[in-house]
Amino acid sequence: MARVTLEHITKRYEDVTAVDDMNVEIRDGEFVCLVGPSGCGKSTTMEIVAGLTTPTEGTVFIGDADVTKLPPKDRGVAMVFQNIALFPHMNVWENISFGLRLRKFDTDEIDRRVEHAADIVQLEGMLERMPDEMSGGQRQRVAIARAIVRNPDVFLMDEPLANLDAKLRVHMRTELQRLHKELDTTIIYVTHDQAEAMTMSDRIAVINAGRLQQIDPPLICYNEPANLFVAGFIGSPSMNFVEGDLTRDGLETPNFSVEFDPSQVPNATVGDRLTLGIRPEDVFLEHRAGNLETTTDPIDAVTDVLEPMGDEIFVYLLLDESAERSMEDALATPNQLLMSVSPDTEIHEDERTNVVLDRSKVHLFDTDTGEALVHGIDDLPGPTAGADTGAGTAGTETRATGSGTDTER
Amino acid sequence: MAAETDESGPTRETRRSGPLVAITRWMENLGETGFAYLLLTPVFVLLGAIALYPLLRTLELSLYTNIIGVGEPEFVGLDHYVSLFTGASDPWLPGTSAFLWGDVTLSSTFPFIHVEGLLRSALAVTLIFTLVSVFFETIIGFGQALVLDQEFRGRSWVRVAIIIPWAIPIVIQGMIFYLMFHPSTGFATEYLGAWGIVAETNTLNDPFSSLLIVTVADIWKTSAFMALLILAGLQSIDRSLYDVARVAGASRWQQFKLITFPLILPTLGVAILFRTIDAMRVYGLIDSVSSCTVVPSLSCMVVATFGSQRGLASAIAFVTAIIIGIAVLGVIYQQYKEGI
Amino acid sequence: MAAETPTETQPRTDETEREGPLARWTQGVISDPDRRKLLYRALFYVITLFFLVTTLFPFYWLLVLALTPNSLILAGDWDLPFLRPQGFNPEAFVEVFQQIPFHLYVFNSFVLATATTIIVIVIASLAGYVFGRLSFPGRGPLMLAILMVSYFPPAAFLIPLFEAFTGNVIVIPFLGIPLFEPPRLVNTPGSMVLPFSALFLPLSIFILTTFYAQIPDGLEDAARVEGTTRLGALFRVIMPLSAPGVATAAVLTFIAVYNEYFFSSIMALGNEPQQWSPLVGGLLQYQSLYSTEFNLMAAASIVGVLPVVILVVVAQERIVSGLTAGALKE
Repeated sequence: MARVTLEHITKRYEDVTAVDDMNVEIRDGEFVCLVGPSGCGKSTTMEIVAGLTTPTEGTVFIGDADVTKLPPKDRGVAMVFQNIALFPHMNVWENISFGLRLRKFDTDEIDRRVEHAADIVQLEGMLERMPDEMSGGQRQRVAIARAIVRNPDVFLMDEPLANLDAKLRVHMRTELQRLHKELDTTIIYVTHDQAEAMTMSDRIAVINAGRLQQIDPPLICYNEPANLFVAGFIGSPSMNFVEGDLTRDGLETPNFSVEFDPSQVPNATVGDRLTLGIRPEDVFLEHRAGNLETTTDPIDAVTDVLEPMGDEIFVYLLLDESAERSMEDALATPNQLLMSVSPDTEIHEDERTNVVLDRSKVHLFDTDTGEALVHGIDDLPGPTAGADTGAGTAGTETRATGSGTDTER
Repeated sequence: MAAETDESGPTRETRRSGPLVAITRWMENLGETGFAYLLLTPVFVLLGAIALYPLLRTLELSLYTNIIGVGEPEFVGLDHYVSLFTGASDPWLPGTSAFLWGDVTLSSTFPFIHVEGLLRSALAVTLIFTLVSVFFETIIGFGQALVLDQEFRGRSWVRVAIIIPWAIPIVIQGMIFYLMFHPSTGFATEYLGAWGIVAETNTLNDPFSSLLIVTVADIWKTSAFMALLILAGLQSIDRSLYDVARVAGASRWQQFKLITFPLILPTLGVAILFRTIDAMRVYGLIDSVSSCTVVPSLSCMVVATFGSQRGLASAIAFVTAIIIGIAVLGVIYQQYKEGI
Repeated sequence: MAAETPTETQPRTDETEREGPLARWTQGVISDPDRRKLLYRALFYVITLFFLVTTLFPFYWLLVLALTPNSLILAGDWDLPFLRPQGFNPEAFVEVFQQIPFHLYVFNSFVLATATTIIVIVIASLAGYVFGRLSFPGRGPLMLAILMVSYFPPAAFLIPLFEAFTGNVIVIPFLGIPLFEPPRLVNTPGSMVLPFSALFLPLSIFILTTFYAQIPDGLEDAARVEGTTRLGALFRVIMPLSAPGVATAAVLTFIAVYNEYFFSSIMALGNEPQQWSPLVGGLLQYQSLYSTEFNLMAAASIVGVLPVVILVVVAQERIVSGLTAGALKE
């Protein structure tokens, strides 16, 4: 009933394409986050769904109706804005009832609904206040109440928590999830904060440069990123990337090599330039990786900077000692690797050590196109491996083994 | 459209129809440019009808001779302009020869430099009035602005007192000065006449005295406007600059010369331009204090002739528009530089 | 003063005591910062007082005239330099309405000013919304063109407008194609409200553009999602939130119309109140028909000035901010 479907949505301004051939189907009752760096087109996409912006091409469906040409007020959507956007000249009751009063609901019905909405967001007894007499969190609740009071088919939320302080933001996250459970309405949520997207949504739509990169449940985006952009964007700290050449024995990078049968990498032939991706938590000190069976050969490294976070320690590793230690963009330079270890690990700065990678968590990407080729690579090259080559299958395996090793660190 | 397919959502209004809904829907779907021009339509219509059309029509009328009550309009080309500049149309024009001093005759064949006759007196009156009034308004306005820029008790009342002349109707402004210098009532004539500043008798029919009185009346009323514009400029100056200057040992006069004046200069420039354009349109003040025959400004000449020789009046109107238009270009250039 | 001060090079010994008190005081001002401050203060008050006297004296002059019986005015026996009413004759303020129906002229002025203000605010709101909140090709040149119109002399528009308002057929300039015959508008409010609206529209457009541009986009979007159209958002959210700006534009337009002379004196042909002649007509009537009733002229002027004085006192903040925002476009 309140499915939202975007078909070939494109929005061009004079010289920029803000949204480029976007095709998304959001199911009824689903909580979907549109996530991406600022300026990627996620807000424009939401404005197109709301009707605040008309797409240059393409069609928007809400439910079964083509709403591309409908003004926002007739689309059955409600929206919560980044800057909260309460009407400063109206009190809370007037703000919440604004849409109902415009639609000429009778007074009893308005009162009943406002009461109910205020109840849901815990605003009882504040209906007479003016927005400037309220705290940020309370104002945000009013904005949400204003959205839910109309029983919209679709909720649109444009970075609604961006202007709140960190503590309140975390609290509001859970509130929103509770709200979603309670209302069971389709929610489209725009954010640039991947952690917000990971924790709240049923599915994440990762957008970059106006294009949809991937739309999948959070863990799939995390474990099987569709391309280099998603891999780098989802997860904090970011995934390590190392460029290398595909050889007959595996992948050869400037500082180390990973052995595997190249035939298990689809759409790639020996000699291709590939990028290896490995998350910090999938890099292990050799002597602490005992239980892990799917390790690579040890890699020589020197610890550089340690960042103890409390629940884990981030270790910056230099793979090539002779290379200059560069501060800027450490993750991109191929001679550096970020590793996450448990806080009880004995480790010091400027220490020579050996690390291994969890082979089942290695991602390979085509360097030129950025597309993911395979998630998790099988053991040493040999007759046993290489039977199934599909990226998806390999990924499924990854997840199965992944859960076992997590606690090991 | 979507109206048929949509059956859901109690809050939707898609099923409403009717011409009003159709028009609203059409407007909502207009692109930004289309919507902008749609909303500007009333502005275009109003300004087109009341400003653009009359301006063009004035130009057209100025090419015809049209003496009210005498025959049909007749095409005469640029004759009116030529006769204006050679003095041939003087019989139609109000005014005295009082402002005709000097000899501008450069060439008897090229009429646009050869400004003869009463048009020259109108140019002279308008120019003198504009230059003198704007000059004094700027100085007095600056003084008033400096006073209002200070913090003192009762400031808002002083501000009201200084603004009030700006807000009073031109006809009352004229009336005040009319009564001041009227032979039966005026106390001022006696004094100023004795000092030889204005004519001792029949002051308001003496061209020079009247021009002086009109100019003073304008300075009295419009200095406040200058003061407000300059005050806005003064208050936008960062106060900490003065602290810096004081620490550096600058005296008050040096602070004014080195900080206030340079920073206020752009504002002053814009304000002077605006006032100049405004002053060149003077009519009502002259009409209510004295009369257009005594002190003929450009606008005066239009009003005085349009009841009799409409073609000639149009020519004067167009000449006036061109002269002011040149000043307007100055403003536009200024605005363009600042970037609208 | 400088002549009496001792030459600066002299050492300040007992010599100062032999000087006159003025010289000593001057010396003190030069050397003592506290006294210098006092001097500045005194100078400041003198200047302020001077400005107050020069701006307010003409009004006092009107009051003197209005209260002095006309016979004494004609005698012209002012005891200068301290002008004061000769006798006390407040009846002039009653007589001013009896000699001619002056209240009708004032009423006409109010009607014209109110009608113009409403038209200007509505049209300028639409234009202010466009210039303040939309981006489209031609925005800059259009604003300049509108600015230009407000600075052309009314005299340049007068003749064709007068012809049109007296019921002559509108003709496309230079093509000679007749368009339509307009209704005869002279002696009706229309003949004044139309030119007033066009002349005073640009100032309001600039003021409202400034104010409307400051309303956050989110509020307009919120209103539209909640159920208004774009225009609905303008009138329900943007305009109420810009109330100070709207008030400013309205006050300035009202004052401008109330003070206007050019069209007011021409478009009502006979200066009769029945012909919608405003304040200007009433005062000109006194000047021409009752040219010796000087106390009534003064009384009428005071009556005519009162409404704007009240408006200025009440709305001075708005006027100051509006003039500076509108005229300087900051």
